[in-house]
Amino acid sequence: MASLSSSEWRSICEKFRRAQNLSEIESRKDPENDPFRSKYNARELLKEIYSDLKNFDAGENDNDDNDQPQEEQCSDPVEPEGEGSGTGHAGDSPAGLRAARLGVIEYYLGVNHVETEELSAGEEHLMNCIKLLDKCTVSQENVSVFIQARNQLGILWAGRDEIDKAQGFLETAESMYVRYMKEVGQPPMDLTDFFMVEEEALSPQERTKQFEMAYTHTLYYLAQVYKNLEQYERAGRYCHSTLQRQLQFNQFVPLEWAINAATLSQYYITKSCYMEGRHCLAAASVIAGLAGEVPSEAAAQENEAESEKREQLGQKRAEISRCWIKYCLNLLQDAKKLLEDNIGELDTDRQAELKRSRQQEEDEKERGRKSAVLFSSSDTFDSICSLEEKVSCAFPLDFDEARAVFLTGQAHVNQSKEYFQMDGHVTDHIEILQDHSALFKALSFFEEDLERRCKMHKRRVDMLEPLCRDLNAQYYLLICRQLQFELAETYYEMMDLKLAIADKQDELDAHSIKKFNHLCAASMKYYQMFLDSIRSPEGKFPEKLEDEVLRPALVAKFRIARLHSRLISASPTVQLENLSNSLSCYDFLVQYCQEHPEARQAVETELELSEEMVSLLPLKINRLKAKLVSAN
Amino acid sequence: MSKNKNCETVKVVVRCRPLSRKEEATGYESIVNMDVKLGQVTLRNPKTPHGELLKTFTFDSVYDAGSKQSDLYDETVRPLIDSVLLGFNGTIFAYGQTGTGKTYTMQGQWMDPEKRGVIPNSFEHIFTHISRSQNQQYLVRASYLEIYQEEIRDLLCKDHARKLELKENPDSGVYIKDLSSFVTKNVKEIEHVMNVGNQTRSVGFTNMNEHSSRSHAIFVITVECSEMGPDRQNHIRVGKLNLVDLAGSERQSKTGVRGERLKEAAKINLSLSALGNVISALVDGKSTHVPYRDSKLTRLLQDSLGGNAKTVMVATLGPSSCSYEETLTTLRYANRAKNIRNKPRVNEDPKDALLREFQEEIARLRAQLDKRGMLTRKRRSGRRARKGAGEEEGLIEGEGEEEEEEDEGEEDEEDSVEKDVEDYVKEQQEKLELEKAAIRDDRSLVAEDKQRMLEEKERMMMDLRKEQEATDMLTAKFKVRVTALLIYYTHQ
Repeated sequence: MASLSSSEWRSICEKFRRAQNLSEIESRKDPENDPFRSKYNARELLKEIYSDLKNFDAGENDNDDNDQPQEEQCSDPVEPEGEGSGTGHAGDSPAGLRAARLGVIEYYLGVNHVETEELSAGEEHLMNCIKLLDKCTVSQENVSVFIQARNQLGILWAGRDEIDKAQGFLETAESMYVRYMKEVGQPPMDLTDFFMVEEEALSPQERTKQFEMAYTHTLYYLAQVYKNLEQYERAGRYCHSTLQRQLQFNQFVPLEWAINAATLSQYYITKSCYMEGRHCLAAASVIAGLAGEVPSEAAAQENEAESEKREQLGQKRAEISRCWIKYCLNLLQDAKKLLEDNIGELDTDRQAELKRSRQQEEDEKERGRKSAVLFSSSDTFDSICSLEEKVSCAFPLDFDEARAVFLTGQAHVNQSKEYFQMDGHVTDHIEILQDHSALFKALSFFEEDLERRCKMHKRRVDMLEPLCRDLNAQYYLLICRQLQFELAETYYEMMDLKLAIADKQDELDAHSIKKFNHLCAASMKYYQMFLDSIRSPEGKFPEKLEDEVLRPALVAKFRIARLHSRLISASPTVQLENLSNSLSCYDFLVQYCQEHPEARQAVETELELSEEMVSLLPLKINRLKAKLVSAN
Repeated sequence: MSKNKNCETVKVVVRCRPLSRKEEATGYESIVNMDVKLGQVTLRNPKTPHGELLKTFTFDSVYDAGSKQSDLYDETVRPLIDSVLLGFNGTIFAYGQTGTGKTYTMQGQWMDPEKRGVIPNSFEHIFTHISRSQNQQYLVRASYLEIYQEEIRDLLCKDHARKLELKENPDSGVYIKDLSSFVTKNVKEIEHVMNVGNQTRSVGFTNMNEHSSRSHAIFVITVECSEMGPDRQNHIRVGKLNLVDLAGSERQSKTGVRGERLKEAAKINLSLSALGNVISALVDGKSTHVPYRDSKLTRLLQDSLGGNAKTVMVATLGPSSCSYEETLTTLRYANRAKNIRNKPRVNEDPKDALLREFQEEIARLRAQLDKRGMLTRKRRSGRRARKGAGEEEGLIEGEGEEEEEEDEGEEDEEDSVEKDVEDYVKEQQEKLELEKAAIRDDRSLVAEDKQRMLEEKERMMMDLRKEQEATDMLTAKFKVRVTALLIYYTHQ
């Protein structure tokens, strides 16, 4: 800087300021037919600055040589990565500063070319920037440029579908940040700092913010790189870090952040990482709370902004609730999978074993995991923790534990239904009710009392049946089918339970029989409704079932067959009728699989049983017929 | 082609415009080659030598630079419009980079019959069909909306800055709350509706091109048809036609036509605000909730993309070597669209059919009016129209006489029934005035008679005024409805 007169320097700073202004602000107003006008103007200014700097450098060359020996004595705090020379100027020496200054201009020129769709030229400038800096050690002066130039090159190569190259640049930027923070840690100079007159210099806080933001972007870009490389676990980790850093440096929009965190929880859920999932959800709920109170209906009616806010807040909070529901549901279902025996009942040995092992492992293991994933923002930390304590993240192993999870889920069902009402949000509303039903179903597994278990299924029927009735299948065919099938299955389960209860009582009274037959009939009705939904508009059942309904349709036929044969009747004539109905359904399945062999694998077990029934049932029917004849 | 009769794939056709003069002058060459017979498009990468790295795509049809508007319409669009008239839902998308002829394909040049696009041709088609039909009642409604930056606006509403909400109803599926729709009785009227919308779309934006290339416009025509079934019951079929002018495909990656977005293999999103996209891409949706809403366009057209509809997609291309990348993207997208399978069904007796509502209302009004003795006049004029229709071959003209009376009343404010009444009364008054004048001028009548007739006319005018007070809104509603029904009587 020695040979730069202050007026010359001021003029450079002024040019830089203008270039920034053109590039960032003016460019937004450029007309469609000349979209890069301001960017091009900015480019010219940058070029001028570049040659100005070069000229001064030429005059300073002598000094440069003098600098050299001093620098080499400097132990370099951070080794530049492989692609550079490794040794060179100290970043904070005059030569290092000169290089950084030129590097900054090369950086801006590079970005300018990239933004004006001249990728090769942009790449060249960015590489020039890196070459200049590689001659220097990493320092407070140049670390920002180092990282940002690599961010840009990462984006550039990703845009060219060369993910490996992008990954290289971004990972270098990442490791550079880590080392710098470990070994230096002072707020580094920002890129704009180089061309600011002293009185406008950024505060250390502002510098830190800019620097950390650049690194947050590095992580965010890496998340995308890993996603594109299908390294989903890594991508998830980097998304998580990005969220953490947004919170830490207070660079986030509450609702947006909360939705992202809630979505990330869903990723953890699919990986069965319930502790991480819960942490994300608790953080999402707390941060969403920062977005303010939901305006009252009255306020919303008076003012459009308030009305929009009400809508936004209501919707986003309901969305977060829905993520909580899935958390509870998956936790219950996963626990069920762990605990069930081969016929789907609670395996008590397994339960005892899991209870024993749980205490030992848990404590140490999870503490270690936990510190790695915390969202640490001092003012929200406590509220996040207290929210977490409200629901367990360990698999529930008995009814009481399961019930606690269920109740949390149910509370969120009620909360999300407030926004996602049937009127206006049909699909969402029904999805929530389906989840509610699934929560009951999962809970019923833990319930030992069969009567009470039956009541839980009754609750499911009560919430689903009206939907099935009111929904227009023309627009909601898929949902209607789901509901029909679930209702049929639920009645089937209730029928099974009633039978089990009756078995315990030894004797079937008339009331129980009536009840039992009613459940059978209801189940058949819904299976039949499902099958009818497959018919063509003319009412014809398709000769060939489509892939997505193949298994459900054949299973429905199979179930109907079974239900027919289970109906209880004292009259042999009715019995006969039921059996032949049953036979014809089994027969349908067997016939269908003969005509369409590709269907066999979809219903292997059902087909095997059906084939057996088709050979056995006629015997039974004949015997019954014989009995009828002889009775007459 | 499809495995199942109820299933059919989206019909995808590709159209390529000629090399523009500017492109020719700049020395760009054509890199698109089309085989109309095989329905194939071959794209050459201009960066590689000839004959190398050709990319070939096959579609349902391809239309080269020499193709006429009528080729595309007759082959590809006509069958779809016929289906709509039978009660199917139909959608036509135009998709492509800005400047590849989307608007030319959809709109064309209205004044030149040769160069008319899909939209004017389908208007003509619909109303010609209706005029030739027998024993059917039709009701045609039109709506026009725009989606810009995920906000829906009504292009036919005065307050078009108002954002509309996308809602769902258990009975009628996805709908736009408060979207206006206008009953149109002929080509002229539906064109008028479209023009009004187009004007709304273009005003208020300093940069029209920018705006329209970034917004999706959807013109919706609902055709309801009522016909006596073999069961002696009236059955209503409702076909809905969506004419969709998508935003330029260069913006498509941002707006996303489907849930299955244009997956630009490895592009990095720069803005942190897109973090959600990354995260949601990691989540397997089966047992989880992903709280990002589908785009409005996707939700609105979900039936057209894998649902109850027949869909045609017209992908438009530019042939120039300078747009190789975009052209390839368009072709890839179009290629993917071929795999979308729809399950179209005739929409029979839907609960929300406006036609039914009209019919019921008319029956109710008729009953009320009968009591007031209003209908004698009404019936008389109805008979007159019918008779006229019988005499002239063109049935639409036969009705036209009566319709035109109402046109003025409806033109600017179709829904304003009150105004319609006023207009009607005014018209009747004018008519009577004219008749009065004619009587006065008729020298063949004796003065006495003249006086008597004039008095009678005067009395009729008084009656008319009273009539209005007495029947109030009822009449007006009735009139609007009846003419809107587009009833075409066959020869008796």
